Amino acid sequence: MLEATDLTKSYGNFTALKGLNLSVKEGEIFCLLGANGAGKSTTINLFLNFIAPSSGTAKIQSMDVSKHAQDTRQLLSYIPENLKLYPNLTGIENLDFFCGLGGRTHTKDQLEDLLIQSGLQRDFIHQRVSKYSKGMRQKVGIALARARDARVLLLDEPTSGLDPKASNEFSELLLELKNKGVATLMATHDLFRAKDTGTHIGIMKEGTLIEQFESDEVSFQDLEKLYLKHMHN
Amino acid sequence: MSVIGTIARKEVLVALRERRVLVLGAIVWVLLAVAGVTGYLVYAQQHSAIVQTQQEKRQEWLEQGDKHPHIAAHYGTYVFKPKTLLSLFDFGLDAYTGTSVYLEAHYQHEFMFRPAQDHSSLIRFGELSLALVLQVLVPLLIIFMSFHTITQERETGTLRLLISQGVTFQQITWGKLLAHGFLLLSILLPVVVGLIIMAFLSDAQAKMTDLGLRSILLIVSYTIYLFFFLMLSIWVSLRSSSGRNALLVLLSCWIILTVLMPKTVANVSERIYEIPSMREFRAAIAEDKAHGLHGKSTKSERQEKLKQRYLEEYQVDDVQQLPFNFEGISMQAGEDFGNRIYDHHQERLRQLFYRQNHLASIASLLNPFLAIRHLSMAMAGTDLHTFIHFENEVEHYRRELVRRMNHDMAQNSTYGKFFEYKAGRDLWDEIEDFTYQTPGVWQVVQYYKLELISLLAWVIVLCVLVYYSNRKMKPINE
Repeated sequence: MLEATDLTKSYGNFTALKGLNLSVKEGEIFCLLGANGAGKSTTINLFLNFIAPSSGTAKIQSMDVSKHAQDTRQLLSYIPENLKLYPNLTGIENLDFFCGLGGRTHTKDQLEDLLIQSGLQRDFIHQRVSKYSKGMRQKVGIALARARDARVLLLDEPTSGLDPKASNEFSELLLELKNKGVATLMATHDLFRAKDTGTHIGIMKEGTLIEQFESDEVSFQDLEKLYLKHMHN
Repeated sequence: MSVIGTIARKEVLVALRERRVLVLGAIVWVLLAVAGVTGYLVYAQQHSAIVQTQQEKRQEWLEQGDKHPHIAAHYGTYVFKPKTLLSLFDFGLDAYTGTSVYLEAHYQHEFMFRPAQDHSSLIRFGELSLALVLQVLVPLLIIFMSFHTITQERETGTLRLLISQGVTFQQITWGKLLAHGFLLLSILLPVVVGLIIMAFLSDAQAKMTDLGLRSILLIVSYTIYLFFFLMLSIWVSLRSSSGRNALLVLLSCWIILTVLMPKTVANVSERIYEIPSMREFRAAIAEDKAHGLHGKSTKSERQEKLKQRYLEEYQVDDVQQLPFNFEGISMQAGEDFGNRIYDHHQERLRQLFYRQNHLASIASLLNPFLAIRHLSMAMAGTDLHTFIHFENEVEHYRRELVRRMNHDMAQNSTYGKFFEYKAGRDLWDEIEDFTYQTPGVWQVVQYYKLELISLLAWVIVLCVLVYYSNRKMKPINE
């Protein structure tokens, strides 16, 4: 579903991403771990075609994103670290608007159901987003992924700053989407969340994916040790 | 609904909830209402004053009693430039040119009742007319409404989310254009409706037969002009890194286009094509009347030449033997000579005005504000060319009036017995009342081809700029 082949991004002499090779299949959650500047967000931005690769390819459903940007964007849903919505619109209005952009129309009841299934409290559905917490906005993002019937989910540190309860709720929603066959690539700092949610984990350092494995292969303690070992080297 | 339509609908909803547009719209409404009401009051007052005074002056002319025709020609009369209904929309040059003139033999009097004379120099910045609000203040409304339309999306991060949905920059831009165009139309709807109602007022049709066409052309021209500012605001917003920068650039453009450049162009054209003062103009005419054009002949020489020509033509020894009163012929000849002198100087003066205007027309290629200002005056019938048309008609009427008086004097009075002949009501009745019909709009608009080109060219240029900028845009700066 998601595939990076020798994906490289350079800014002048600085190489933000060096020859990344990874693939995320349907129903997999690939968590990219790494410190700030490791190349996690660059990877997400390359898959979104927000930036152009210096070399290599990023593919979604076998389509090169730089050549089929609009087509591949129709397949995915993107939730950044701090999902920004229109503060003067309500949650349901935001959802309706973003669904409309993809040519998807839903009834009011369907949109309400989507928001509730994504964990948003009913009382907040018709309130302006300016009153929403970060966690509530992220839930609108999940509702949008559901409403768009996204096959690919690109998440850039989506649980950063969320309280443990909200973070846990978010993980549960991801697992639900995983079970529906959605391929997820998630950049995160959160080792616990990566182990808990991810099917695959990759550790990035200075633009290089230095190690990748299935999350079942390691315990949380081993993951922490491995991560710290790479960070200190 | 299409993506563009979805974006436009969201924009309108957000704009209404932010209330900024409502506040700005309310301010513009108040200004438009004040301009419209005061414009109408001035129009109604002047219109009724003109109609009433013209009737009084006509009665005075008809009831002046029996007198010598030449005295009647000096008694003269007043004519008035009728106020057209569109002049309440755009006062144009009416404040400077005056609206009435006293007609008498030998002299071309200045136009009177120029509101500009009664005001301070502030009038140069314009009286508050509907045209001024649309030309100067509505662009400011557009700037404040649209300067951050794209930068805000970028600054708040919603742009990434929009692009990640598969939306293109072209769709975002045109969606926003559609929304802001809709909001603007909603704010300006009273003006559009007002102009259309105006166009169907029968009383006004009498002086301006193509009022409907003029109103439509005004609406179309202003639509293009305001679309230019809308495109400019969105393009600057697209290219700017922050809303603050966009606002700074747009306000600078606004000041240059609506304040600095018009003033500079006016000053430069006045400097290059210097207009003589009224005193110099009158003195030059008086000098040429006394000594002939370029000092070729004196008045007595010309009169002697005329006398000899008639004596030879009628084979008589003395003017008293002529079958008509030679004084009438002499006076008309003097009138014709004075007219030639006046035409000569008037044409030179007009050439200066035309050149000043042409310079401003050329400058309008760089500045759509100048273009719409000229076009608006032309369509409202308050521009230089319409005024000159009126001036020509007035002068033609004056000359005909004097010619008829001199002709009557020549035919019916006796040489040397000036005060013994008196004409009466029959002769005064022969002089028809002055009526004026504004020239057709196409006749006037032909002088403003550069302005039309300017408006269309700027919109096309901005459309191209927006299109190419959109193609190069990225949701994040690399």
